[in-house]
Amino acid sequence: MNAPHAAERGKTLMIVEDEILVAMTLRDELETAGFHVLDLTDRHEEAVAVARESAPDLALVNIQLRGHDDGIELAQHLKELNIPVLLISGQVSRAQSAKTVAIGSMPKPYSALEMVGAVRYLLAHLRGDESRGPPAGLEVFDTTTDHFAPAG
Amino acid sequence: MAAHPPIDTEDPAHSLTMAVIEASLNPLLLLDGELRIAGASISFCDAFGIDPATAVGRVLLELGIEEWDDPQLRALLGAVASGTPQIAAFEMELERPGFDTRCLIINASLLVYEDLDQPRLLVAVADVTDARACERSKDEAVERLAVLLREVRHRVANSLQIVSAVLLQNARRTGSAETRDSLTDAHHRVMSVAALERQLSASADGDQSVELRTYFASLCDNIAASMIVDQNKVSLVATGGGVVTARVSVSLGLIVTELVINALKHAFPDGRTGRIEIGYQAHGPNWTLSVSDDGVGMPNDPALIRTGLGTSIVKALARQLEATVDVAPAAPGTIVWIEHIQVALVGDDSGQAPAVVSSDGRRTSPERTI
Repeated sequence: MNAPHAAERGKTLMIVEDEILVAMTLRDELETAGFHVLDLTDRHEEAVAVARESAPDLALVNIQLRGHDDGIELAQHLKELNIPVLLISGQVSRAQSAKTVAIGSMPKPYSALEMVGAVRYLLAHLRGDESRGPPAGLEVFDTTTDHFAPAG
Repeated sequence: MAAHPPIDTEDPAHSLTMAVIEASLNPLLLLDGELRIAGASISFCDAFGIDPATAVGRVLLELGIEEWDDPQLRALLGAVASGTPQIAAFEMELERPGFDTRCLIINASLLVYEDLDQPRLLVAVADVTDARACERSKDEAVERLAVLLREVRHRVANSLQIVSAVLLQNARRTGSAETRDSLTDAHHRVMSVAALERQLSASADGDQSVELRTYFASLCDNIAASMIVDQNKVSLVATGGGVVTARVSVSLGLIVTELVINALKHAFPDGRTGRIEIGYQAHGPNWTLSVSDDGVGMPNDPALIRTGLGTSIVKALARQLEATVDVAPAAPGTIVWIEHIQVALVGDDSGQAPAVVSSDGRRTSPERTI
């Protein structure tokens, strides 16, 4: 496993995922990789409240959320809060349709370690660092750096 | 009987035309230069509610409530009457009171008879309303199936994701290194199938064929991310390539997963650097999958060679693919071939060792140990 870049260590992430086991595994792997992961959420309003309070550097959002909440609508809301969103869903065609509100898509099924690589890549990408290539499976939407200020 | 005028000519060509119209099961018309009906098949009269007894002599565009008086049709038929040889596949909608709108395809050709002053127009009318409805219905069915397929894919992806998460959670929490190892291996097997599913999902047209090099590269990325601490020391490379069905690719992917994991566990002890190469070559129906490493090689003492679940999986999947498994020293390292031979290739100059086709159709190479 590659060591995380110093600039990425300690970055705050938010996971919005309705499958709790998937969310827990992601959280564990991301924390092991040195990221700070906010409390897990699986609803739109709850996620927005957490995002407003903690301003994560990146939100990992599933398209299908609990209670028929929609991850793409949440991504739109998070974009308005200047929080970049990585869609993590098996609904590939819907993710493709959300290029204006998300910065990338990592379709299920992914391995948690691939997701760690995707998060590292995107955080570096947001900083303008293109020294590493995107990991397998990650689709990066071109609007990334136009819509979000570099993370501090 | 078809509607036709009294025979006013002995022109045999004209007589033949009238006979064809009379016998035609498809709507046919013969018009004069003024677009008056000179002959109409019974099928035309039946299809469009025309009385055969009074059809002849009437202007086509004035039939019924002038439902045939389409400006484009009028212009096109007028052009044919003026000398344009033909019009092909003009499409129009015919609206008649009390009837559903019909979609018609019209062809018209200019006929010139020696004994007639005026030209004649032979007009064929095809009612494609039902065919179009069938096409639309088929397209809708295909779209519905595509939606269902996407939904199934989504559910499969979710299920694989959950299974993968459970295995990783268990692996993280167990205190036994051996159990953790087994659970991690199981996680890789699930992810091997998952990578295939993801590749198939990316295919917009529902194509079920799999490009192996992309698939193997994805497998390598996943395995490398979890098993190689320093990726500068050991590299995984996919070479060759080919396209196979999803069913074959899932077996090949699992075989590659087992062999790569095995090589990573045993070929590079004590931080040794090296490379693992996955190759796939196909010649017609025959193919060879190879996984080679440049590590320490197999132990000289056969008693030290362990055969575990991974070996059983490789052999079982190879058998399912009607392929043989061969393992040999690679100087340095080890190479494993999975080979499917359906026919013997005469004059194969691919650079491989000469093959011998055994009586049961399997190719053997004397330098390999099975």
